[in-house]
Amino acid sequence: MASVANAARPDRQRAELAALSAPAVLFTLAMIAFPVVYTVWLGFHAFSSTERQSFVGLGNYSKLVADGEFWHGLWVTLALYALSLVLQLVLGIWLALLLFHAKRVPGFVRSLFISPFMMPPVVAGLMWLVILDPSIGAANYLLQAVGLPPSEWLASPIWVIPTVALIDTWQWAPYVALIVLGGLQSLPPSVYEAAQIDGASAYTTFRRITLPLLLPTIVTATILRSVDLLRFFDIIYITTQGGPGNASNTLNIYGFRVGFEFFNIGYASALMLTLTAVVFGAVLAFNRLRGAVAW
Amino acid sequence: MSKTSYATRAAITFVALGAVTTATHAADFDWKKFQGKTVTFLANNNPVSQALLTYKGDFEKLTGITLKVDGYQEQQMRQRLVTVMNARSDEVDVFMSLPSREGEQFAAAGWYADLSAFSKNEASKDYDLAGLSQALLKAATFGSKLTSMPMNIEGPILYYRTDIFKKCGVEQPATIKDVEAAAQKIKACDSTITPFVSRGLKPAVAYTFSNMLHNIGGSYMANGKSNLCSAKGKEALDTYSRLLRDYGPPGVVNYSFQQISALYRTGRAAMSFESSNELRTVMEGGERLKDTALVPFPAGDAGQVPTAIGWGMAVSAYSKQPDAAWYFVQWATSPEIQKRMAVQGIAPPRPAVANDPEYRKWIDEEPVRKQWQAALDVLATKGSSEVGYPIVANPESRDFIGQAVQDLILKQKTIDQACADADKGLDALIAQK
Repeated sequence: MASVANAARPDRQRAELAALSAPAVLFTLAMIAFPVVYTVWLGFHAFSSTERQSFVGLGNYSKLVADGEFWHGLWVTLALYALSLVLQLVLGIWLALLLFHAKRVPGFVRSLFISPFMMPPVVAGLMWLVILDPSIGAANYLLQAVGLPPSEWLASPIWVIPTVALIDTWQWAPYVALIVLGGLQSLPPSVYEAAQIDGASAYTTFRRITLPLLLPTIVTATILRSVDLLRFFDIIYITTQGGPGNASNTLNIYGFRVGFEFFNIGYASALMLTLTAVVFGAVLAFNRLRGAVAW
Repeated sequence: MSKTSYATRAAITFVALGAVTTATHAADFDWKKFQGKTVTFLANNNPVSQALLTYKGDFEKLTGITLKVDGYQEQQMRQRLVTVMNARSDEVDVFMSLPSREGEQFAAAGWYADLSAFSKNEASKDYDLAGLSQALLKAATFGSKLTSMPMNIEGPILYYRTDIFKKCGVEQPATIKDVEAAAQKIKACDSTITPFVSRGLKPAVAYTFSNMLHNIGGSYMANGKSNLCSAKGKEALDTYSRLLRDYGPPGVVNYSFQQISALYRTGRAAMSFESSNELRTVMEGGERLKDTALVPFPAGDAGQVPTAIGWGMAVSAYSKQPDAAWYFVQWATSPEIQKRMAVQGIAPPRPAVANDPEYRKWIDEEPVRKQWQAALDVLATKGSSEVGYPIVANPESRDFIGQAVQDLILKQKTIDQACADADKGLDALIAQK
């Protein structure tokens, strides 16, 4: 009797586990799996507001390969990604070290440092659009006040990418700083005590101890920022809409315009899936790197 | 019975019959027919809908219909609409539409309900279908389908500072060449003022550029192909981009109506070529009330062919209650409501409203309003609703026009290269049909 009761327990546990996890599974299927599968399906069809849906196989993808705007968009996406990532990592790590070592900084100053990333991207974009307006913006006013020439900022095909990267860095470097600060706070103090005893300088301590030990945390921050940066949209949509010309036309902006302004849903789906593949590839690569630098 | 008695009784009978007939006719239209229903309105959150929705309560009181408003900025409204329509959802009953931009596309997609029968057979006596701008009604008709009822009439006009013109010894421009000459003179006279500002943002350029192209005598298409590289096309591209490059504000390639109106309203621009809808925004605060004059964009070799478009109210083809939806469209585009919107600065698509005493009183209060109305009269009589290419892919065609203009403003290409590249892409678009 006892053995029958014992055999029934795992089955009941499995049933209970299944019942408890069912809502999460259903949610995942409905909100994640279905949209992805449907987008894949759309990518194999010619589907616009004015065309009857028709299966075109890889037609959208071969159009993509031959589309100059796609390659330009990919280039802009990668350039913006690389520049923004480097700036955010460097500034984020510096900010984290500052906050870690500056014990006497009041709480509200710390909050002020990290507040930009809590601002909605649309608000940040509108704010910077006004600040960087070449005619009436505060940025050029300040430049001219110190004797420097004004800049066209977001209106310059050459400077628009660095400007957008700076805006994004202003907003998200504090986020990187928070992650790195958490990593700093978890580092073992004994290693630093040993370094101090050995007479290591601050720079040597940072280069030989802090940085290597922080690498897993930095790679985590890199992964989190990479997902956002490769899908760059908000700031560009609010400020330049991909302009001037197509100088800031990232893949995400291009795909959005193809889908929602030109109503070519099938081709937009192919573009977005390609971008998704790029993002996945980057995440997988950095994941492997994180494994390699773990301690 | 005597003859007099018969005649009297007959007369009384006829009069009574006439009175009953009239009363019945007036009572024919039952505004409460759909009482208790809810109509969902997808609105573009622009001055036109903002003016209309100040009277939302009046509509609900008149009809007993609850009006649920979904308001978004223009691009977001279109995105929502595309999502709803592709899903063939009945979430939206009535939506705002710009026939000059998406009319062909949406009509081909079958997204509009046909309002022809509604407007002829199911409208109240006061509706006055014939009183609406026939040009705008024609622009909203695709095949034989009337797709929307016009809410307003608008187009780009030239706002200019009379005080700066006087200071710099410049006369009101009568031709496009005069505009450039005026800009040159103002630039030399006062370097702190931007002589000329208009749209440079890529998707927005076509609205103002089309006016210049038509005034110069150019056309977007000829013999089924793109015509930007014609002599007139190149002249229009060259003139428009040169005005913005040499006399426009820094960063003009990112300028649309918000930046243009802000620059003009704050007194930093001498001439602004922007939508007539911006009158209310430009006059906010009152600084520009006394020193601004308005004219339709000056003539080119082909005279004045101003751009004249209007937002329309459309009923969704997937609405489950098109009759109730039509009640809202009818009310919103009726003479009474358009008169009330007119005194809020929304130009009426009904010539009769423009002559209404109350509206004229409002117009006569300020000289700038008189000039605004005079400019709108020109738009109404001479206007062309062609903004961008008259093809299904009109929105995409505007991108090519904007790109060509930006290439020239930024000096990235010569005129021949810019128009050739645009024509190549546009011919491919035209061929897609």
